[in-house]
Amino acid sequence: MATRTASRRVKGETLHDGFLRHRGFRWLKICTVFSLVAIVAYCLVDVTPRHNGGSWLGYVLGTIGALQILWLTALGLRKRAMTRGRWSLKAWTSAHVYIGLSLIVIATLHTGFQFGLNVHTLAYALMMVVIVSGMVGVGFYATLPSALSSNREEMTQPQMIDALRSIDRQLHDAAQPLDHHLAALVRGSLEQDPFGGGLMRRLSGHYPGCATRAAQAAIRRETAYKPKLGEDPIDKVDALLVRKEAILGRVRRHLKLKAMLEVWLYIHVPVTFALIAALSAHIVSVFFYW
Amino acid sequence: MRFLIRQISRTADGREIVRPVTLEQPVITVGRLADNDIHLADLAVTPRHAEIARLDARGIVVRALDTLGFDVDGRTVMSVEIDAAEGAELKFGAHRLTIGLDGDAVTIAVERVQALSDATGDKDEQRVFSLRGLLPGKRLSAWAFAGLVLAAFLVAPIMTWATYRAAPQRPAGFHADSLWSSGALSQAHQGLKDNCQACHKDAFVSVTDDACLTCHKDTHDHADPMRLAAAKAPPGAGARVGLMFAAAFNRPQGRCVECHGEHEGAGPMQPAAQRFCADCHGGMKERLGDTQLLDASDFGTAHPEFRPAVIVRPGGDHPVVRRISFTAHPREENGLKFPHKLHLSTTNGVARMAQTMAGEQGFGQSLVCKDCHTPDATGTRFQPVDMERDCAMCHSLAFDQIGGTIRTLRHGDPAQVVADLRAYYRGTGPERPPSLGGMARRRPGDYAQGRTYYAYFGAVAARGGQAEQAVRAVFSPGGACFDCHSIDRQGDAASAGFRVQPVSQNARYFLKGWFDHDAHRTETCESCHAAPTSGSAGDLLIPDLALCRTCHVGEGGAALRRVAEPVASGCALCHSYHADDGAPWSTRQRVARIKDGTNAGAARGGRR
Repeated sequence: MATRTASRRVKGETLHDGFLRHRGFRWLKICTVFSLVAIVAYCLVDVTPRHNGGSWLGYVLGTIGALQILWLTALGLRKRAMTRGRWSLKAWTSAHVYIGLSLIVIATLHTGFQFGLNVHTLAYALMMVVIVSGMVGVGFYATLPSALSSNREEMTQPQMIDALRSIDRQLHDAAQPLDHHLAALVRGSLEQDPFGGGLMRRLSGHYPGCATRAAQAAIRRETAYKPKLGEDPIDKVDALLVRKEAILGRVRRHLKLKAMLEVWLYIHVPVTFALIAALSAHIVSVFFYW
Repeated sequence: MRFLIRQISRTADGREIVRPVTLEQPVITVGRLADNDIHLADLAVTPRHAEIARLDARGIVVRALDTLGFDVDGRTVMSVEIDAAEGAELKFGAHRLTIGLDGDAVTIAVERVQALSDATGDKDEQRVFSLRGLLPGKRLSAWAFAGLVLAAFLVAPIMTWATYRAAPQRPAGFHADSLWSSGALSQAHQGLKDNCQACHKDAFVSVTDDACLTCHKDTHDHADPMRLAAAKAPPGAGARVGLMFAAAFNRPQGRCVECHGEHEGAGPMQPAAQRFCADCHGGMKERLGDTQLLDASDFGTAHPEFRPAVIVRPGGDHPVVRRISFTAHPREENGLKFPHKLHLSTTNGVARMAQTMAGEQGFGQSLVCKDCHTPDATGTRFQPVDMERDCAMCHSLAFDQIGGTIRTLRHGDPAQVVADLRAYYRGTGPERPPSLGGMARRRPGDYAQGRTYYAYFGAVAARGGQAEQAVRAVFSPGGACFDCHSIDRQGDAASAGFRVQPVSQNARYFLKGWFDHDAHRTETCESCHAAPTSGSAGDLLIPDLALCRTCHVGEGGAALRRVAEPVASGCALCHSYHADDGAPWSTRQRVARIKDGTNAGAARGGRR
């Protein structure tokens, strides 16, 4: 009981309400009811010999589904205008998520569970790719921002770049007295692009070719059996490399999280357009070979 | 021998700061260590990288001191001589040394031209922290994907259609418009799967009957189109909306494809659903007052009692038949006397006789249906019962034996029977008793009544008159003909005035519906035909509606009373829309399937 009392919202207090919970899950409720109505209709309507997109129910579901797709795509235009109130962007986004999910039900019923190697199933498959990528995106949006902010520790992106630059300058200066082969290791670290690596490196956060780590390891091997006298410039370089690695680690985690927040959109958006193309072909084909 | 070194650095806003140093010596060194004359804080430069020596007033030589060389005008060398008046550009690591001549001094401008690390170079924050550059842009891939899909799934199929629009035949193989197929074609139409245009002839025009009639030339309509239109039930609210849409989207009503839907899977085409029939037949009496047909909309719940075609006057090739409802308890007049009950009894003399003939005729403990009834070649119906084949094994018409040869009366020809009997009595005498003796002398008293001579010669004297008696006996109660046939005295002299009523056997009782015995092999004969209790040949042993309904229910499972193992039966199970003498289309399909294709020919083109 104590916890319930504690978590109850005090009257008048406004808490942050994400787009998923917007207005007490209003759009979740609307879309659930809508989907259930569609399922019940599907079960009650007798279509011979079996359900398909060409029955009256099929045409109704198909028309609704196509309109849903067009409306969902309109978020791309709508999001560029951020507004408040009843038709706020948040409300729109909330509806986008739940209407998008209900599309799974509507479109699947529209197919009558008949699939094949044709433009119709292509449109359905592309739609499912878009929806699943959207679900992944929602999942990322729900979980990653907290991880992102705890990783940043209030550090901004320009600050991260500045930190790297600062450590690079210090490394550069500290490495001046070193022998050429050690200097070359440090130079490797300096010349490697901290933002380099392909998409997979970015998403996995694994950088096996990291020159900084390689330089640090090589210098450790070099100095392993040397007494630490405190005046050897190599010790300073070693310490700087350790610091650089730490900063790089943070930057790379940041990059990974940012990449995950972004990458689903690289599927979600282009496949949406492929879907609209397939949907157009689907609709035209039906009337063309009427 | 002067060198003028100009160290150039730049402020944040790009302004140059030059710090000149003059060195009065013939040789200067270049390297990373601070004690070099030209000190390059550059990790790509070795501690003592090179020396520069003057050769004369204009010439200098640059020599690498370590294993690493340096770049001169883009080439890597270990040593180079330079005319300072002509100038040159040297590159050590990230530094550029520009050689020149100023009076008698060789000038060397030293400038860092590359950032000391990658991170200290230009970084666009927005760009480096995003995936831009790692993936093709969203806009680009959106257009590319959409373009590809449209090209492959819209443009290519339309081009295929346009290419072969006027062509009489499309070449075999893949055509892009098959990507539009909404499902596999049925078995019968498999040959058309690459030829969409066989049915879809014009763009945005729904499939017309002409396309179907190209192949299905003989298919005739169900009834006069005007009467068809009049018989149809007026559409309800939902159907009216449907009709409105159909009109708006150019879908005329009454086409073949309305009942015969395609692209519903590769199996056999489904028979038309019950509702297509019930639309008209459900309440046709109201709409078509003069129709003879009774209303029917569901076999399980709304089907009139059967009206079997019963023979009312037998004889000839076309006996008179009349369709009489079972509610009127029809009896059949087939001209025979035949109690099924007597023949199927398991306890009477017939059964006993069957047992004695078991070895000879293959009978069991008693007679069963198949002992007398033989199915026809298709298994649908039964061959007419044939006296010689199906009855004569018991009901022999033998009347004489000469040597080993049995003489029989000819079945179906009364005049011949009469003639044969008369001939028999005329040509043969009574058997001569052995006690009659040979040519020995007769004694008085031998001719006395009761003695052998009296008996024998009396019989000889009366022989001719016995023929008429035998003829009468054959056509009278207890006689071979009379027991099975109706006999009257309307005959001519050749048949001694006797006439056998003509006999007709009914091969098909249900003229409007179709019954297939082969499909009912899981049942016993008695479960439908009450033969074991029938005492008269006039009993109609055909099952009525109620009996069929003990298994058969409506297409959707509707039934008036509970059915243990219901057989869903749409109209098309027994009836044909495009009716002919053969089995309904769906039955032909099913039989073909059951018989593993042996009936496939009949199923395909079997409308006889």
